[in-house]
This record gives sequence, C-alpha cells and structure tokens, in this order.
Amino acid sequence: KLNVGVDTVQHGVEGLTYLLTESSKLMISEADFQDSIHVLGFSDELNKLLLQLYLDNRKEVRSILGELTPKLPSYHNLEWRLDVQLASRSLRQQIKPAVTIKLHLNQHEDQTAQVLQTDPSTLLHLIQQLEQALGEMKTNHCRRIVRNMK
Amino acid sequence: ILDDPDLKDIDPTVLKHCHAAAATCILEAGKQKADISAISACLEDCKLDKERIEQFCTEYQKNKDALEILLGSIGRSPLHITDVSWRLEYQIKSNQLHKTYQPSYLVTLNVENSDSGSHPDVSFSCTMEQLQDLVGKLKDAAKSLERATQM
Repeated sequence: KLNVGVDTVQHGVEGLTYLLTESSKLMISEADFQDSIHVLGFSDELNKLLLQLYLDNRKEVRSILGELTPKLPSYHNLEWRLDVQLASRSLRQQIKPAVTIKLHLNQHEDQTAQVLQTDPSTLLHLIQQLEQALGEMKTNHCRRIVRNMK
Repeated sequence: ILDDPDLKDIDPTVLKHCHAAAATCILEAGKQKADISAISACLEDCKLDKERIEQFCTEYQKNKDALEILLGSIGRSPLHITDVSWRLEYQIKSNQLHKTYQPSYLVTLNVENSDSGSHPDVSFSCTMEQLQDLVGKLKDAAKSLERATQM
C-alpha cells in the first residue's frame, strides 16, 4: 500500500520508535523536541505531526518504560483474619489471640500470596511504625528535597 | 542426672525410669492444666506418702507458669511477624526512565519461623497510597480485636 520496500518501512518504524522512546524517557520539552527534529530536514507539517504524536503518547510510553526498572515485589493487597487458639496437642485450655494475614504481592507479573501471623501487641507496633513512615513525607526535610529536585 | 554425686548409688536404669516417670507426670499435669488437688489425688493413688506429695506439688506450683508457656509455644503456626523495617526513598531517575520524581517505600517484615529458627523476611515496595491502604487494613484488624475483647 505504501509502495516502498520492506526495509524502508522497517527503518521508518524503528526510527519513530527510537525517537518516541528517547524523547519520552528524557521528558524533553516541546521546544527541545522541535529543535531536535528540525535537523532532520522534514517539512513543517511533518514536524507538527511528529510533535503531536510525541505529546499524545508520552505518558503511555513513560508508564511502559517504568515497568522496565529494577523492582522488588510490590504490594498488591492484604487480607486479615482474627483467630483465637483454644488448645493444642501440647497444651489444653488456652486463649491465644492471633491475627492471620494474607499478603498479596506482585512480581514480574506473577502474583504471590503469603500467609503470615502476628500477635495483637506486634500488630499495634506494626501500625505505629508504618504510620510513622507515612508521616515522613510530610516533614519539612522531605518537602524541601521534593521541591528542590524538580 | 546420671552425673549427680548424690544419686551415684542408685542403679542408672532405675534412675532413668524415675526421671521419665516424673517428666511424663509433670507434662501431663501441665498439658491438662491440672490443679493441685487433682495432682495430689493422682499421686495418692500411686501410693506416694504425704510428705513426698507435698514436696512435688510445691515444686510444681513454683514452675507451673514457665511450664505452661513452654508447652504453649510448641506447635506449628504460619510464619510469625516479629517486627517491621521501612525505608522511604525518592526516585529521580533510572536508566530506562529519567525524571521520575516519585516517593516509594520499601517495607521489610521481619519474620520468625518457629520450626527452623530461620528468618525468611518478606520485603516489598509500595507507593504512598498502597502503604495507606495497608495501614488502613491493619487498623481495621486492630479495631476488630478491640471489639472482640470487649464482648
């Protein structure tokens, strides 16, 4: 349909791909993009089209590139259950409360679920520690860094 | 026990039998959470004299709590969480993607395995929203616990 050789089409696609991924990766501004493609000597109309293509697809390309970074298993979901142990083979007449937790994690498109358990006092400790963690982003120190890094 | 100088005159086999018998008696009493009267009655049936029964019961009472804790800790359970560590980082760049500017948390749950004593810690990363979700769910569990204790 395009009346050109297969190689030309392939090179064209590869060139476009490279252009879009590099631009999206570096998150370059419109002006920088225009300057960069200007040297290729295309028509103004083509340049405009390319710029539009870049702006339209930038977000999606960046989210795909984001998947390629090194990663640890990431949190997906948590289910919990309250249990009370009443007896065991070695000891009768117990009252032992426990919280059973199913932690769902994602890694490389596999979902794993791990069953863990904890006692009430550790649970409260976990909550306190993690709330402290959440609070960190709001401290002046972190806010200053976020501001200055942009 | 076999090396105790006070007991060296007794036949070792008899000593072993006594030790095993005493241990079995103590463990059964502990498992059933037997009270003193039940133990005394049982020992009377075994034709032990009053003085010995009293001595045995006194010693048993002294160590009863420790015994119960020990017995209660035997048994299988899922991996037990003992502690949590977290790390807050601010990502700025990777080789695949520049200018990311995203905070991310790395959480490690320290886990203890009662069987092998190993520590297969669970680590995972999460965003702020995900951590809020996690903490919210843990707080729900804690609230449920509180309500259950008041029932």
